[in-house]
Amino acid sequence: MADHVVRFTESGKNVQVPTGSLLSEAARLAGEEIGQPCGGQGRCGRCLVRVEQGTVRSRSSLRIALEDQQAGYVLACQAVVEGDVQVSVPEQEKIERRLTTDRTAQEVGVPVGYQYPRDQTVWRLHVSLKPPDMDDQTDDWSRLQNALRQQHGITILNISLNLLRKIGKVLRTGEWQVTAIVEYQKGEEFRLIDLIPKHVADSQPLWGTAIDIGTTTVTLWLVNLLNGEVAAQVAEYNGQIARGEDVISRIIFASKNNGGQILQDLVLETINSLIERACKRAGIQPETIYKASLAGNSTMMHLLLGIPAESIRLSPFITAVNQPPLMRAVEVGLQLHPEASVDCLPGVASYVGADITAGVLASGMDDSEAIRLFLDVGTNGEIVLGSREWLVTCACSAGPAFEGAGVQDGMRATKGAIEEVWVNTNTFEPTYRVIGGGKPRGVCGSGLISLLAELFLTGVIDKSGNFNLELGTPRVRNGEHGPEYVLAWAEESSHGNDIVITHVDIDNLIRAKAAIYAGFTILADSVGVSLEMAEDVLVGGSFGKYINVEKAVQIGLLPDKPWEQFKFLGNTAVRGAYLALLDRKMRARIAAIAGRMTYLELSADNTFYEAFTSALFLPHTDLSRFPSVADAFALPHV
Amino acid sequence: MPVEIPKDNWPGAVRTITLGATAAEGGSRRQVVTVGGAKSLPFLHFEAIHPYRPVIALEIRDRRPDDWSPLLIKTWQEVVDDPASWAQAGEKLGVDLIQLTLSLTKADGSSNTPANAVNVVKAVLAATGLPLLVFGPGQAEVDNELLVAVAEATKGERLVLGICEDKNYRTIVAAALANGHLVSARTPMDVNLAKQLNILIKDMGMPLDRILMDPTTGALGYGIEYGYSVMERLRLAALQGDTMTQFPMIVTPGFEAWKTKEAKVGEGVPAEWGDWEARAIHWESLTTIALLESGADIVVLRHPESIRRIQAAIQELMTQAEPA
Amino acid sequence: MALTGIQIYKLLPKTNCKDCGYPTCLAFAMKLAAKQEELSACPHVSEAARAELAESSAPPVRLITLKANGNEFKSGNETVLFRHEKTFVNKPGVFVRFSDDLSPAEIQANLAPAEAFQVNYVGISLALDGYAVASVTGNPEAFAGAVAAIRNLSHKPLILIARDPQVMAAGLRVVDGETPLIYAADQDNWQSMAELARQHQAPLAVRADSLEDLAGLTEKLVAAGVEDLVLDPGGRDLATSLSRCTQIRRLALKNFRPLGYPIIALPAEASTPEIEPLMAAQSVAKYGGFIVLSSFTPELLYPLLVLRQNIYTDPQKPIQVQPGLYEINDPGPESPVLVTTNFSITYFSVANEVEGSGIPAWLVVADAEGMSVLTAWAAGKFDAERIAKDVRSFGVAEKVTHKRIVLPGHVAVLSGELEEELPGWEIRVGPREAVDLPSFLKQAL
Repeated sequence: MADHVVRFTESGKNVQVPTGSLLSEAARLAGEEIGQPCGGQGRCGRCLVRVEQGTVRSRSSLRIALEDQQAGYVLACQAVVEGDVQVSVPEQEKIERRLTTDRTAQEVGVPVGYQYPRDQTVWRLHVSLKPPDMDDQTDDWSRLQNALRQQHGITILNISLNLLRKIGKVLRTGEWQVTAIVEYQKGEEFRLIDLIPKHVADSQPLWGTAIDIGTTTVTLWLVNLLNGEVAAQVAEYNGQIARGEDVISRIIFASKNNGGQILQDLVLETINSLIERACKRAGIQPETIYKASLAGNSTMMHLLLGIPAESIRLSPFITAVNQPPLMRAVEVGLQLHPEASVDCLPGVASYVGADITAGVLASGMDDSEAIRLFLDVGTNGEIVLGSREWLVTCACSAGPAFEGAGVQDGMRATKGAIEEVWVNTNTFEPTYRVIGGGKPRGVCGSGLISLLAELFLTGVIDKSGNFNLELGTPRVRNGEHGPEYVLAWAEESSHGNDIVITHVDIDNLIRAKAAIYAGFTILADSVGVSLEMAEDVLVGGSFGKYINVEKAVQIGLLPDKPWEQFKFLGNTAVRGAYLALLDRKMRARIAAIAGRMTYLELSADNTFYEAFTSALFLPHTDLSRFPSVADAFALPHV
Repeated sequence: MPVEIPKDNWPGAVRTITLGATAAEGGSRRQVVTVGGAKSLPFLHFEAIHPYRPVIALEIRDRRPDDWSPLLIKTWQEVVDDPASWAQAGEKLGVDLIQLTLSLTKADGSSNTPANAVNVVKAVLAATGLPLLVFGPGQAEVDNELLVAVAEATKGERLVLGICEDKNYRTIVAAALANGHLVSARTPMDVNLAKQLNILIKDMGMPLDRILMDPTTGALGYGIEYGYSVMERLRLAALQGDTMTQFPMIVTPGFEAWKTKEAKVGEGVPAEWGDWEARAIHWESLTTIALLESGADIVVLRHPESIRRIQAAIQELMTQAEPA
Repeated sequence: MALTGIQIYKLLPKTNCKDCGYPTCLAFAMKLAAKQEELSACPHVSEAARAELAESSAPPVRLITLKANGNEFKSGNETVLFRHEKTFVNKPGVFVRFSDDLSPAEIQANLAPAEAFQVNYVGISLALDGYAVASVTGNPEAFAGAVAAIRNLSHKPLILIARDPQVMAAGLRVVDGETPLIYAADQDNWQSMAELARQHQAPLAVRADSLEDLAGLTEKLVAAGVEDLVLDPGGRDLATSLSRCTQIRRLALKNFRPLGYPIIALPAEASTPEIEPLMAAQSVAKYGGFIVLSSFTPELLYPLLVLRQNIYTDPQKPIQVQPGLYEINDPGPESPVLVTTNFSITYFSVANEVEGSGIPAWLVVADAEGMSVLTAWAAGKFDAERIAKDVRSFGVAEKVTHKRIVLPGHVAVLSGELEEELPGWEIRVGPREAVDLPSFLKQAL
């Protein structure tokens, strides 16, 4: 049998291997550093190399984009040497950027064409008043109104009692040179939000904030309304979690004794601490924030505003309000400027709230010619299907697992979270990537998805999610809550305890993904459209920075469509709130979206139960819905 | 006027499965029984040839059942104390299969043991030439213990071992796999769960011609509509080519019907219910016919009169009166 | 072909005006597609759209109504081949046959118990739908006498069975003004029978021994002005009957109008008396619209009517079991008390597991309006208050010596409140899934 020379470009090393050897074997002989976390099964893509001269026969190119394949990229563990070749080994970080399935959320871009003050409802205006004298005995408030009319064309100006108490002093402190913060209301009407002595320099930012109140996670962006720039992004678990993981438990808690008050205080505490944190990061005072746009599901909105939410839970599932009026921070309890404008965005129904209308806006699907599919993964999975012509939506209760909550070692996607996992097919040993590097503290949503897929593909669990206890690895053991898999031993973790995924966790994850997938199928069936007809899938939510599409498909969370058709938008609810915060046209579009979305109540008949049980399997009871996973099983190793 | 008869031309078919093995095949059965092979919905002879008729299994116990209706005990009399004679009585009646259920306890109240289970199974095998289905008492640990012993002691007989359920299938499948037996996979009235368990069993390497599925049916008046529709849907899926639903279906209308108050009890019931024994037999046989119409390949029955009627019905249903 | 929601939507004004009572035009379109709403609810729909939508909604199996003294029986309007596809709509009528060779006194003696027959199944009252009177003597007076004898005692709808039009005419005269089913027109007598059907404005059964002949006859009858027809495709053995009934339903669903009528099945003419009940059962499952039995036997009628009830439940609607205290494996005063909801799948899975475990137990099936544990809890139909109310009203405390109750694991959160609602009771949290009940019962209790 003939030998061939394999030459490695960067190190200049040469090795001789017989025909039929794998490039990965050649690399090992040459002492090249090539990652193989999956154990050389062609699954993780970490052994990506580029063939610069000669050719190899590639057994699988599962994770490589077409253009990269054409550029000579192959998986070393799947590349069979059949002649002399020269190979380049890229650096690991470069590989991760190349792999088509690791998509990151887009950086926040200021919406194209945003113009202050044209699009904004909150303005900062310099006002110069003629000081009063014995001849001009006009009162302070009228004087200010006159000046605003003459200098800025504002004919009707409203003011609160609180502010009235303070304007006299401000006018005099500023020696009749003041800066007014006003908000456009409707028709000719404006409202005075604040009055500041002297003329604030135009270079100073004008602050607003966009907030998404998730059942599990609250996210807040601090935004300069003058140019749309985001000065800080912060997020924290919703303080209400301790009083129930899902909206139903919260509603029940709120309906008892003083529960509503307790929950309202808890979420306010969370939001206010986020405001503080964002302000600290930007070096500003919370009182200089004059506007807030809030997205959140209907229950969260009700609880925040202290409105009884009981009717949301009870058939026929009616909210007290879908479109709350404009409010002031002091009424709501937000620690911004007390007169700051608080805009709670409109929702559609009990289980399709402002987080989704905002998300649809952020996705742009309401203005799309083609049919698109939008998924917001949170504690509830909300799904929207449609186009410019029609929009249909449903909500399915996924639970908090994908946000890292309700899972033994789950955590949010922050520093110390395992965000991606590979399991070696032969040894069942894991390799993982930790956000921020260093020792892991737990597993975030994307890590859990990745882990579930790997455990399933390597046979550690069967398609029902039951552990195989006869693999002969100490990683699979009987723990306190039944069988479990040890992802990191105590000495490898930052807190000195084992990091595990238990049978119960796996059940929760499978239920969560099944609920979401069932939502997809029912929504599509309800309008007689197949999932293939959707041009792309827009995914929002707080999975973490990365979500590996391939793995999300392998566990049957996302429909099996080509990778190119998935777009990750990050937290679309907060992004929608951000757009509405900046641009009144965007705000009007959210209202239009809320008016024309058709909501499908899944509990109305048996179809959900049916679709749900068929999705309670990895990846799905009907494997023909997941041809790419069927192909993955057909690889030589399985 | 000319009428064009709409015929479905299905791409799939139910798998053909043979129960039991003769001496030449490594077992000791006088005859084997083959089921399945359907290429259309049940008994639609104008559409496809039905190579194998549905078959009847007689349910017997390894000892006198404590909880059976007195009507059943009255009709079988003393054979209920001897599984071998019971099986022989069934064979005389013309049933195709014997389904033996092992009990949790022996007649003296002590726990059943693997050795006892093996003895009973061997005695039944010796007493009849019919293929045998052996089910455990329905508690995972005991099932596994008894069935593994039975599987090993009867290697090559192509028994059907049961009952595999999604929380307890590995041990029984492994024992059947190693000893040349078949398994029965039971799921609670749900198309998806049925399919999932079949996939799990297949994933363990079980050849597909050694799996029967029991979709659980419920009795007349007690949820049969679920079982009925689940079976119709499973059969339609099989015909449409879904390989993981192409297993013959075994159902237990005897068990289902005889646990209902209508069949079990004769006193303190409304007069409108009519004669007790006649009603009980109707309950069992009507449950059975509904399940046959929805695709059952093996029906496990209890009362000799129900068996006679169902034998007659199957014969009539399998007789092709008109040319295809 | 039925239109999908989107297809219907495209025919609507798309203004989301809400005048129909739905929030969007698409929501209304989906209701129309599910046949849960009438197009007339939209005041703005165009004539063209109205015509197109009407086309797609004509019933493939014609609705036939029998009437007698205010009693009505309906058959037809079916739209599917399998009940799981949507639902079967009108239950087949069960009729008991009387022959005119019996004396009026004999008829009345046999009729009395049949007429009185009424049996309760899960709160539903089941009874016969009517009677068939068959001419065996060929004598018009005897036939008229038999019809009159039945009519004296019963107000239920009738099927009149006679081949001779003169005999039929005599029977029809007795029930003039009613709408009985005339059985049957065949190759030879169809013209006279059509005449009678027209005269009495009564539906007419058509009998032939092949589908070709049957379709030919219905065409002629429709041309002769008789539109309310019922089909008897012959075939008195199980296999032939099944094949022909299946073919008829398939053709009807393909909008083959000559066979778009309900079917009459005659188990009364089955090959043997033993086959009769099984053929009746087959006819319930497989497309019978009228079922004629040879005699009144309550022990058969009860299971047959229950089967009919089961097959004709709407599979889209979760069905409920009767709330109450259920005994499993003969429980005693020491046996554990479990709680679940009255969604039938929930009940069956819990009951099956407990039963399979061999452990005696009391099962409190609470009235949760037919929802599963989680759904009912989420919807507020399965809370501490309701459970406590049911525990009290079912008299659980009188059945047991202990005061311990096991809640489903999914509603562990209710245990505190339930303790308040049921002072003195110990509340235990059971497993979330029924399948884990046996081991729970063994280990934890």
